[in-house]
Amino acid sequence: MKRGLVVLDPAEIPENEWHQRIDRVRERLTADGIEVALVYGDVYRSDDIAYLTNLCIYWNEGLLAIPADGAPALLTKLSPRVHTWMRRTSTLTDLRSGKAFGALVSALLADREPGTLGLVDAGLWPTALIDEVTHAAPGWVVRPLDGLVRQLRLRPSEPEKTLLRQAGAVLAEAAFTGNVSDVEQIVRDAGFTDVLVRPTATSVEITGQYRNNWLRVARDESLAADLEKAVDAVGDGVKTGSIPGARVVHHVDLSTGGEYVGQPTDRVLSAGEVVVVAIERDGAVAADTVLVTDSGKEVLTS
Amino acid sequence: MTDLEERDLRYRKVRDGMAEGGLDLLLAFGPGWRRENVRYLSDARVTGSAAFVALPATGEPSAYSTRSQDAAAITERGWVTDAHFLDMTAPDLDRLRDSGAKRIGMAHLELLPSMLLNLIREALPGAEIVSATALLDAARMVKSEWELARMRRSAQVCAAGWQAFVDVLEPGLPEYRIVAAVEAEIKRLGAEDNFMLIASGKDEVRGMTPPSARLLEDGDMVRTELTPQMDGYWLQICRSAVVGKASDAQKRSFDLFNEAVEAGMSVVKPGITAHEVAVAQNDVFRSEGYGEYCTSQYTRVRGHGHGLHLDETPIIEGNHTVLPENAVFIIHPNTFTPIAGYHVLGDPVRVTATGCEVLVETERKLFQTSEVNA
Repeated sequence: MKRGLVVLDPAEIPENEWHQRIDRVRERLTADGIEVALVYGDVYRSDDIAYLTNLCIYWNEGLLAIPADGAPALLTKLSPRVHTWMRRTSTLTDLRSGKAFGALVSALLADREPGTLGLVDAGLWPTALIDEVTHAAPGWVVRPLDGLVRQLRLRPSEPEKTLLRQAGAVLAEAAFTGNVSDVEQIVRDAGFTDVLVRPTATSVEITGQYRNNWLRVARDESLAADLEKAVDAVGDGVKTGSIPGARVVHHVDLSTGGEYVGQPTDRVLSAGEVVVVAIERDGAVAADTVLVTDSGKEVLTS
Repeated sequence: MTDLEERDLRYRKVRDGMAEGGLDLLLAFGPGWRRENVRYLSDARVTGSAAFVALPATGEPSAYSTRSQDAAAITERGWVTDAHFLDMTAPDLDRLRDSGAKRIGMAHLELLPSMLLNLIREALPGAEIVSATALLDAARMVKSEWELARMRRSAQVCAAGWQAFVDVLEPGLPEYRIVAAVEAEIKRLGAEDNFMLIASGKDEVRGMTPPSARLLEDGDMVRTELTPQMDGYWLQICRSAVVGKASDAQKRSFDLFNEAVEAGMSVVKPGITAHEVAVAQNDVFRSEGYGEYCTSQYTRVRGHGHGLHLDETPIIEGNHTVLPENAVFIIHPNTFTPIAGYHVLGDPVRVTATGCEVLVETERKLFQTSEVNA
């Protein structure tokens, strides 16, 4: 659960990069003829919202509204009492609280002529919420926008790579201990927001969120050689299906373990992407988080 | 009571509710952040992004999870022996299809992703799907002795977590490292998870949040809601501690909040409503001229239920949910006042035949590190 450090630090991600992220979404919306996009997140899966605003949905749910022609706004059922904290830790200035998302969406659209409302990754939204939002937007065309923000996150920026390297070094150190308690101390002391530790009889798997990026490391002696072989096979232009015996999950899908996107064997890796390469056998697991480079790969968790 | 007797008790309760609602199949859905109903029917710790247990009106249950490791975790517990990996890109819901259910109750239907609802509709075309969230909430409300035994273990971890919290406090420590120390201790004791909010500072503090990099200062009051999960069961302790020595205002604040906690406890008995427990606490603030600080402008609830979800029925004015014997909830009048800023104090209680049992043994006082280190 998200109970570690939440911080907005311009020394880590410069202010102009935050603006660029929103601008890229707006460009896509304009190109696709969409007036407003809505991004849904809950405490378990809210990385798109964090990527765009640095906001941590630490409890419950939230909707981020991004108009093609205006500033983003957060719609939340949390009380206005948390707005001060949200402003301090995110780039957001427009925060709107209410008892129901429908009423919040209705108010958001009230001054606009009906147009097209895009629901980012609508397949992952609760159906009840889709119905509520659709009802709140009479006259609007409501359509899904699959992968709109995910696509932008696939290749981390240079500042993000710096954060990923810092985080990878911490996870690599933590993986030396098989002890859950020690892992928690090491990883949370280093400022991770979330940590999930899964020990098995012979291995320990650590999945951690550092700022807004996820990484995974897992160590199991019996799988070490196979993991090394799989990691060696990673490179620009390589099909994931050709990496021997490995499950390959993109780091942007790690909060949900890649369970909603599947494992297409013909997916081609490209330079700049960050993936988790894992060998899973009989409950044991070995894994590393790897940056695909032009010339091969950089193991972030070594 | 054995594990399987507990399972049978639960299935009877749920099936009674299904019969009342005319349901021939119950699907207990659990998204990643609301798995309580999956746990209730399987006693398994699942980790998938989506999972559900299918309990027919008659016959054996089955379970599904989007994480491949969960199927083994479920069957190992022995409550549900038919468990499947649910590959969202190539789903196999044949068992569900074979049930031929016509009227389905779905717990957490309100949170069910549309892609999963579409798969279920394809497997059971024409079936009516209604919400069964309230049915499961009601089934989970009253705890059995089997459950209470687990919650007492959670209570011990609450106490140990709070002790670790106090032990680490010192000027110059960032908030997030307090959390690291607490997490290390409660995980050492076997906690599965923890929900924790924190706030440090003086009378300017207005609410609780995830930790920041703020460094503790002498005279700070450091507040926490600490909620470890043991064997599936969440339990919360709310306390505040002062770095160094407490000021007179901080002591006055503690006295007010402690009086409110005791007032809340004093009215607890079988059949009391959440509303009445909240009123008892708020009346203390109102009588002292701080009634406005019991409103939503300053606070959320005066406590909430506990169990396989950490934030069950809210203890709040206007919630007329009846709290029967063996319901478990925390009484916490946490709010801001101008006396010493946001104050956090509360204990989880069980409704007994004649009143309430406080489940944590940690002393209810304003902790001061000057005393701990003396």
